[in-house]
Amino acid sequence: MTTSGSLTRHRVAAAAVVAGTATFLGGAFVDLPTETAELPGIARDAITSAIPDWHDPEVVSVVVYGTRGFDTFGETFLLLAAVVGVIVVCRGRERRRVFLQEERLGRREQAEARRARGEARRGRRRQEVEHAEDIEQGQAEDSGEGDAGIGARGHVSAPAMTVVVRTAARPLLLVLVVAGAYLLALAFTPGGGFPAGGVLAGVVLLAYVAYGYRAVRRVVRPALLEAFELAGAAAIIAIEVVGLVLKGSMSANWLPIGQEKTFFGGGILPAFSAAEFVEVATGVLIAVFSLLAMEREWTEADQEEAGAERNAGEATA
Amino acid sequence: MIAVNYLAAAALFCIGLWAVLTRRNLIKIVMGLSLMESSMYLLLVSMAYRKGGTAPVLLDLPEGRSVDSVVQGAAADPVLQSFCITAVIIGVAVTGVFLAVVVRVAEHYRTLDADDVRVMRG
Repeated sequence: MTTSGSLTRHRVAAAAVVAGTATFLGGAFVDLPTETAELPGIARDAITSAIPDWHDPEVVSVVVYGTRGFDTFGETFLLLAAVVGVIVVCRGRERRRVFLQEERLGRREQAEARRARGEARRGRRRQEVEHAEDIEQGQAEDSGEGDAGIGARGHVSAPAMTVVVRTAARPLLLVLVVAGAYLLALAFTPGGGFPAGGVLAGVVLLAYVAYGYRAVRRVVRPALLEAFELAGAAAIIAIEVVGLVLKGSMSANWLPIGQEKTFFGGGILPAFSAAEFVEVATGVLIAVFSLLAMEREWTEADQEEAGAERNAGEATA
Repeated sequence: MIAVNYLAAAALFCIGLWAVLTRRNLIKIVMGLSLMESSMYLLLVSMAYRKGGTAPVLLDLPEGRSVDSVVQGAAADPVLQSFCITAVIIGVAVTGVFLAVVVRVAEHYRTLDADDVRVMRG
């Protein structure tokens, strides 16, 4: 009764907060620009300066990498901070010098074996453990069937999908690669490196889903992705700082501006866009694969125990 | 009627906030945060929209349009569109951080119920 009473109070309080937020947003949205309003000054300035200053007819790219490049600079490092956060949180256990779970597991196993007096069972268990150790040390291959047990990496057991999916994925991958390259290669595509990086990450993820972990394991290596991620960040810093040194302002163009509507048309824009492409693609891949590769640090027996404790707690409450 | 888009953005934001405040499952809380994030994309793109306007691309403008007419408001707002592009990518990375934390919480407490995560209550 007490629990349901506090739940009701909680919901009433939440409803009050949501209603207050809705009222506030409703009041604020009344003054938002309508679809017939004039463009704000900052947008007009970006449109008028795009061709004379940057030789780039794609105004969104000019804003992202040029006139408001400093914003993008900051957001790039927000992305980097998020990726570093994911890496830190997902990081596996340090290499151990002491036994943690083994002793407990061993005791349980011995007790079970004694109870069952089953030599065969103990032998099978040992075989499983030895096989898992061999997989970890690279001396054996994971069969990819089912759950490989304690400490098994999630993505290692990801198998390829059916022949239908694999066949359909092939032309799709081709289309996505071409679309990504198009977005990146032409400086006058909207957003440049941001969407292109997203597309490349999508290509790798599609290959992973369709063909299994083996198809992408050469690309998805921390040493490779993290190096590229940091190289992209370093390139962005260099582009911005050189502008500050040579022209007195971050994001100022310091490269010769080529002919309009060509790859060199935007000065620093294509270079910034390419660095952002590397940053976004590797950042998204690191974040996704870090999550997929998170190791389970409990045993099934622990899980059952915790569930039983919780059920017992709920029963007494 | 761009006001409908604004209303939809406000409604999405409030649904997300409701999920964050009332759900106990951490995955649902992250979904609520993602909904709030998506409502901002809708708001930014809707604010950028101009009736009868073209995309903010000064290449092969439609007949009768000049750069001057585009500047006067016959194009979508490029600044808000650029905010949206960056926000989407940042949103993916931040959701990744949330989910990683949720997995760690689940590992540590063996539950996804936010009410069972009581260590900060002392």
